[in-house]
Amino acid sequence: MRQARELLRKGASWIRGHKLRVILLSLVLTIAAPWPAEGQFSPCCAILAAGLSSISSALQSVIGGGLNQILGIDQSIQQFEQNVVWPQNLINQARSLVGNLQGIFNQIQTLTKIQVNSATLPNAQQLETNLLSRNANQIAQTSANYTALYGSVPAATDASQQVRDIVDMTDAAAQAAMKRAIEIDALSDLELQAASQINQSIQNAAPGSAPIIEAQADAWLVRANAYTQAATADLMRLRAIDLANSSADIKMGATNTASLRQQLMNLLQHN
Amino acid sequence: MHYFSFALFAFVCGWLMLAAESRRRVVAITVAGVLVSTLVIAPPPAEAQGGIIQAIQAVLNVINGAIQTALNAINTTRSAINNLYQNLIWPVQLINQARSQVVQMINQYRTLMASILNLDLHSATLATPQSLENAIRDHQVNNFSALTQAFGNTYGAIPLSTDASQADRDMSDMDDALTLDSLKTLKVSDSATDLELQAADSIETTASEAAPGSAPFLTASAVASSIRSQALTQKMLAAELRQEAAHIAHQNGFRKRGAAFSTQLRGVLMNLLQHN
Repeated sequence: MRQARELLRKGASWIRGHKLRVILLSLVLTIAAPWPAEGQFSPCCAILAAGLSSISSALQSVIGGGLNQILGIDQSIQQFEQNVVWPQNLINQARSLVGNLQGIFNQIQTLTKIQVNSATLPNAQQLETNLLSRNANQIAQTSANYTALYGSVPAATDASQQVRDIVDMTDAAAQAAMKRAIEIDALSDLELQAASQINQSIQNAAPGSAPIIEAQADAWLVRANAYTQAATADLMRLRAIDLANSSADIKMGATNTASLRQQLMNLLQHN
Repeated sequence: MHYFSFALFAFVCGWLMLAAESRRRVVAITVAGVLVSTLVIAPPPAEAQGGIIQAIQAVLNVINGAIQTALNAINTTRSAINNLYQNLIWPVQLINQARSQVVQMINQYRTLMASILNLDLHSATLATPQSLENAIRDHQVNNFSALTQAFGNTYGAIPLSTDASQADRDMSDMDDALTLDSLKTLKVSDSATDLELQAADSIETTASEAAPGSAPFLTASAVASSIRSQALTQKMLAAELRQEAAHIAHQNGFRKRGAAFSTQLRGVLMNLLQHN
């Protein structure tokens, strides 16, 4: 404490001895000292403050108000879409239904694989196995199996050309229909497989992608309709040939009757 | 930064002032200090007021002009989209109306159509055909042996080799086989039809609670079901094709054998005439 007092006494003594230096140093430091910035009470700052206040007000009313209105509308749209258009619980419910349907379809697919073979004799068994094979590669064997069971076209020495033509045409229609049946079975198996794949895709789809899968399914349905038409066409061909055969029987009966009449007339004339 | 510069300046100026040896040096340091503090340390003069006003006005013009116009346009567009969604594309009252219609049609048709489809069509009057009729109409796929038995009881067995030619036996066996194949296929189809109807009912029931966003799942699944339905129809058509083909093949077989018999008969007659 005493040392401090002694130091102060020396300092005051030095200042008294160097008054001019102290005064000039104080003057220079006073000039150089960093004064605080001019207050907001100057005219420039008042204008700036008023301008910023106007900008803030405009931002709040024009931009803030406008954005709030847009936000309100967007929230309304979002709620509408979430609750009315794409409610998550109903989407999940639809997906769950698709899963349940897959179970039903698996049962149907199992049903279609049940064997229905019934023939007991070798020739019939061979043809039946071929017809129920669902394998398009087996079509090449159909004609041989058919001929083994139903016989071949009579030789030229055994039947008239007309009869041979009718027999050949009828065999052709019957064999073609049997081959078509194998084709249709194979195609329908593939359709069932594709339908299962499509159904599984639907389970994993989003509401926006489901219509794409639906479009693909529609295309498959069109294709399936075309296969059905192809099968129906062969069925109609079979029935047309059957009808033509009935007509041919009448025609040949008439021809044979006329021929017999002529031969009897010849016999009577000779006698 | 400003305070640091001042502290540095004060230290240097103070040290020089204390170290000055003459009054002339003190005055010189004072003048130099004043000059340095004025020219180097003093802050630059402020900008003019006119520039600030113009800048503020420009910002306000942008806010009240371009930005407000753009926000109004966005607001109008979003409002229009909202109205479009709620009033034209997905009006809630029409969505509810569609759901109600599905429910109403379920109530109107489902039971009625099921009762029509399930009407008893059995018509046989004798015991053996009744047994066969039951077997072919029971929608079961686990009693094929009973079907075969009932079919054999009604239509008889294949003739023994001592009672008929091999060709007749083969054709008869093939006819019976394809008939039984078709009857078995129809039992499978009946069973599958029952499952298809279950699927259709499930889809329709779910449709009665569906939203526009969940309906595409149902329609896609319904189309997949239609593909299956077509496949099953094709299997029935394939069976029909086999059956019809066997039918005309059988008739054609008679025609072939007629030709063979005619040839044999011609040979017999020729032999007889030659002997006479």
